[in-house]
Amino acid sequence: MTDHLRTLRLATWLGWQLETNWASPWLFALYMFVKPVCGSLMLVCMFYAARYATGGRVPAEFLPYLYISNACFGLVGTVMFGLSYAVVRDREHYRMLKYIYISPAHFQTYFLGRGLARATEGTVGGILNVAAGLVLFSDMRAAVGGDGISWTWLAVFLAIGSAMLWACGMILAGACLNMSRNGMFLSEGISGLVYLLSGVVFPLAVLPEWVQGVSRALPTTYWLEGMRRALMGPIPADAPMLRGPLADWSNGELAAALAVTTAGLVAAAQLVWRWSERRAWRLGKLEENAGV
Amino acid sequence: MPTSFRLFLDAALARTYPRVAWLFRSRTWVIQETVLPVLGVAAFAYSYRAMDAPAEYTGLVVLGAAMTTFWMNVLWGMGAQLYWERDSGNLELYVMSPAPMMGILTGMALGGMTTTVVRAAAITTTGVLMFDVPLRPSSWWELGVVFGLTLTALYGLGMVFASVFLLWGREAWHLVNLFQEPVYLLTGTNFPVSAIFPKAVAAAACLIPLTAGMDAMRQILFHTPGIFGVYEEMALLAGLSVVFLVAARHLLRYLERRAKEQGKLTVRWQ
Repeated sequence: MTDHLRTLRLATWLGWQLETNWASPWLFALYMFVKPVCGSLMLVCMFYAARYATGGRVPAEFLPYLYISNACFGLVGTVMFGLSYAVVRDREHYRMLKYIYISPAHFQTYFLGRGLARATEGTVGGILNVAAGLVLFSDMRAAVGGDGISWTWLAVFLAIGSAMLWACGMILAGACLNMSRNGMFLSEGISGLVYLLSGVVFPLAVLPEWVQGVSRALPTTYWLEGMRRALMGPIPADAPMLRGPLADWSNGELAAALAVTTAGLVAAAQLVWRWSERRAWRLGKLEENAGV
Repeated sequence: MPTSFRLFLDAALARTYPRVAWLFRSRTWVIQETVLPVLGVAAFAYSYRAMDAPAEYTGLVVLGAAMTTFWMNVLWGMGAQLYWERDSGNLELYVMSPAPMMGILTGMALGGMTTTVVRAAAITTTGVLMFDVPLRPSSWWELGVVFGLTLTALYGLGMVFASVFLLWGREAWHLVNLFQEPVYLLTGTNFPVSAIFPKAVAAAACLIPLTAGMDAMRQILFHTPGIFGVYEEMALLAGLSVVFLVAARHLLRYLERRAKEQGKLTVRWQ
């Protein structure tokens, strides 16, 4: 256990250094702020463009729905991309992956640490993003904490969500172990797919019925709904446009569904990781690089 | 044929080849480069549907996604490429060889354009069919000219990036990342810039070729109001193409010399 904790601590520290020490603290802070906020502002512009085109028929509640969902999803994207890129970078750029593999460090714990560093970066980015939204838009201020933020549910969803993010990241990192450099772009594609299926920027009711079934099998769907509820409360009755199939679920039901689907994902992640690690080792993929 | 021109052509074709060959050799390419981006685009299309926005707005998203692939290619395949070439040890060979660097950059641009055109075409076709986007082009030739000029200006800018990135180390990767969301916002990838931004901001954003190019194409395809007229935007794109290509040529010479002086041409694992 002590060995695992040491690996975790050092891998997290290494990951954090790699992510942050390429620039001065001020430039890095700007980077952390500008990137997620611009992503959210693009959605805000879409909202206002649609509102303008429909003569104001889009309810004001749509704006915080978009903004908060996108800010929370940033964490999913950061961890998923971060873990797969950690494989590519360690193997092909620094050519250290094989040394980590043969060292006493636990290989999976090492990636957990790298994921933690990315999750920290994503969390800071998400908080800055939401803070910017609160400062800039009155609709955001009215929605977030209007009924009081439910801190208990926020902690529950964040805790289960952490396991979910780690499992997602490990599946992609396992896939990247067996792919060449372009594997890192796979995580972007998968992230886009999850972005669609989890209903990040629209209520699930818009999707075709059979796709909604797929959405309900994903833990990210429940996690995002839970995070929105914890931060903004339930969907107002006067915004039927925003009501999806999970609108009538209680927070407890959402947390249970998230826990069950996350447990399934964690089990799948373990199987995928072990199979991928063994395959990569057998085929010499741990040191194979594309000459980057 | 003069030797210098022959060298330029050979270098350009030689650098184009691996990029085009990759198109046929990467088995996972079809899914990774076509299907997955389309699914990502679908999220924004459904968002507009949820907001009951007019059907043209879905078209804006599809066109934006197709054109964004070129921006991504310019950033990753042009801007960051020399940084990667340095890490793999190719950059010193490029500089040492008699092949002109502009030829190599031209090859990178041509190869990148070829693969990205396929990806963009897949996104456009799937997006248009999947979301029943109403296309009513006022002129195919104008569309072709705008598209060609946009690519020329974009890849000219990519050549500028490539030369600037010669001096950068690990920060290059992060700066490429930083040039994504802010540019999507400024260029109006998913929304009509002229409807949201004040005229002055929209006009300033036109200095990024993607803004003027997409705005002109949207005017032609969906008859949406533009920042400027189509012909003005064509002229702007032509001007930007010349400026970026000339700037790339001068910057490349200057920064290559600076990189040599600072010993950055061979520095790896920064």
